[in-house]
Amino acid sequence: MIEKGRISGLELALIMYATVSATAILYIPYITAQHAKRDLWLSPIWGSLSGFLIVVIIVILSRYFPGKTLIEYCELILGRTIGKIIAFLYLFFLLHDTSIAFREYGEFVESAFLHRTPMLFVTGSIAISCAIAVHGGIQTIGRCAVLFLPIVFVSYVLIYIFLIPDLNLKNMLPIMADGVLPSIKGSLAPHAWLSQYSLMSFLLPLVTKQQKVMKWGIVSVVASVLTMVLMNLGNLFLFGDILINLQFPVFEAARFVSVGSFFEHIESIIIAVWVLGGFIQLSAFFYMVVLGTSQWLKLPSYKPFVLPIGFLIILFSVWTIPSFEDMIRGMGTTVPYYFLTIQLIIPSLLLCVAVIRWKKPKSFMQ
Amino acid sequence: MCKIQAIKRTFTLFLLIFLSSMVLTGCWDRTEINDLALILAAGMDKGKNNNIELSVLVFIPRPQQSGQGNEMSSGGSSGQSFVRSAEGKTIADAMARLQEALTRKIFWGQSEVILIGDKLAKKGISEQIDFWMRHSEPRIRADVLVAKGKAKTVLKAIPELEKDASIQLRKIVKSHIGVRVTVKDLLQMLSHTSNVAVLPWVENLPPTQMDKKKAIPIIKGAAVFKDGKMVGRLSDKETRGILWPRNEMKTGVITISFTGEEGSISLNLLRSHNKLIPSIKNGKWSMRIKTNADLEVFQNTTEFNLFDPNVIKKAEKKVVYEIEERERLVMTELQKKLNADILGFADEFEKKYPQIWKKNRDQWNEIFPEIAVSFDTKVKIQRTGLADEKHKRGAER
Repeated sequence: MIEKGRISGLELALIMYATVSATAILYIPYITAQHAKRDLWLSPIWGSLSGFLIVVIIVILSRYFPGKTLIEYCELILGRTIGKIIAFLYLFFLLHDTSIAFREYGEFVESAFLHRTPMLFVTGSIAISCAIAVHGGIQTIGRCAVLFLPIVFVSYVLIYIFLIPDLNLKNMLPIMADGVLPSIKGSLAPHAWLSQYSLMSFLLPLVTKQQKVMKWGIVSVVASVLTMVLMNLGNLFLFGDILINLQFPVFEAARFVSVGSFFEHIESIIIAVWVLGGFIQLSAFFYMVVLGTSQWLKLPSYKPFVLPIGFLIILFSVWTIPSFEDMIRGMGTTVPYYFLTIQLIIPSLLLCVAVIRWKKPKSFMQ
Repeated sequence: MCKIQAIKRTFTLFLLIFLSSMVLTGCWDRTEINDLALILAAGMDKGKNNNIELSVLVFIPRPQQSGQGNEMSSGGSSGQSFVRSAEGKTIADAMARLQEALTRKIFWGQSEVILIGDKLAKKGISEQIDFWMRHSEPRIRADVLVAKGKAKTVLKAIPELEKDASIQLRKIVKSHIGVRVTVKDLLQMLSHTSNVAVLPWVENLPPTQMDKKKAIPIIKGAAVFKDGKMVGRLSDKETRGILWPRNEMKTGVITISFTGEEGSISLNLLRSHNKLIPSIKNGKWSMRIKTNADLEVFQNTTEFNLFDPNVIKKAEKKVVYEIEERERLVMTELQKKLNADILGFADEFEKKYPQIWKKNRDQWNEIFPEIAVSFDTKVKIQRTGLADEKHKRGAER
């Protein structure tokens, strides 16, 4: 094992939660609302199916090959050549996914605040700070998650508490006026986001108490889904039917806060706090790419890779997405299929082969 | 070996810190407060040749005078802000023109009032609202109002109590004299199927009520919009009628008098709660407006003794009649004359009968005038004030 550091189950859950939810709360409401309209809060619940399924598959796989990540057991299961190819596919996807996450971060900061700053500097600066965290190892990221995420969480809950006088619960009626189909169509994006739980495979070998990983994985998925549902509901209560016009409803909600006509204009604080969550998310992604690459190449250390891969991620974040509109459209149409193909099909395939070819491990269902 | 590694580590660390300090300066979007022109309120008018005339109330930053209010007492407001305007094809275009004449960058973050001139309101406002939603600076909590005449002239007003027209209008709107509509609410109303909206109507205070000949804007009634265009106006009294069902009735004095009795009783509204209850029976659409109100007596010029439960009951009945009369008055205006569903009936029907609504959505304009509206008002007189009637009847005894 290249990584010497270990994380606790809670840290695992928090890192995965940040990896999935940090950008989900920004982009999910707009994308799901395009199809689901008023039922957008139901969509993440359908999406949770992907999350639960993938967590179960990944955890069972890790029981077969304790202490190994997806990149490593890919080779064990499928043989050297095919294993390497599949692992490379997955790794390449991960690089792409990571650069999309960096782009999401950059696009949001750009359209909300720094209109003139070139995107490269927004993503570049966070990439450098993430590089420092990645260089420090998984323990650094885990500790950061425990430190920062409660602050992020509290600040987001506070927005909607301050907005209580403006929330109109009636906005969610009528529920499922056009049947259940719109909300299922809208669940594409939540499916994509929650399928990222396959990345948990990189962290599982590092958890100290292996017996509890299933529990923490499920807890993390539940927390992510609940966050998405509550965010969607909060935005629906506040904005009603115009929600489908707002690209960053959470940001608009923060701008809408006005308590006693002096506690206003708090969006800068909210975004500064959000960057903390974004930092955990991007560091985790970054770390996984770096770790996966060095495992694929069977190197003794991942540290020399941090800066080159950081550079590659930034390049990819510029190359892969032509514009904000294309990114948003992609997230509602093609990206979910792409994400699900790689992140659901590859692990399920690996599991099938593993079940046929390998004996059941002793510590199977605990 | 160890030494080389230590040097390498320090070098990397320095490189990282150096790199981050390079990018974290944020020079591109640096804004200093003395480079900004803070906009307090914006006004939109119809310009020449289908143009939009954008007027802005700009705040003049000036250090507070420490002397004992020598300047503040006289005139007070003059010199704290000024109005500029420019024309353009769109608001953004006009804003660019406006920027040419200002040394500082226009900043919308503090703009809390958006005024629309009545000519533009009659022409249509839906296209212009886009700017206020799309641009990342203006607040969607800003209040939207319609001005009689030009918005520009209203912005120029110098109120006595408040610093400028922006604060004047914002405070009046807040006091729930008329409807209160923010950019967000307006967009919500316009995006609904019924596509109607109501905005507060701003007029100047009549000169008879002032000692000096100045223009002071106040809210007097409401403007009704249909399909993004202003189609009519509700008077002050009618506006009160829509405030009840919109749940915006927060303050107010109701004066009642009895037939065959001299004098009248004035009651102050303490709190009210309203509910719209839609129902569709045998294809007949009807709406029940349920109102609960608590009141207290402010003045009694009648001979009645308010400690008599029968009198209170009689008075309550009369208040119910008064309230319903106001509501009925505005309902006929809305249903028969304007055919504008500004109370959100469509929304209520959609929520309760989603399936029926879906079938009849396109006929809403024909259905709305035919809806049978009934009232269910409950009024309670909570207190009768600090004095009773004996001081008046003393003479008789």
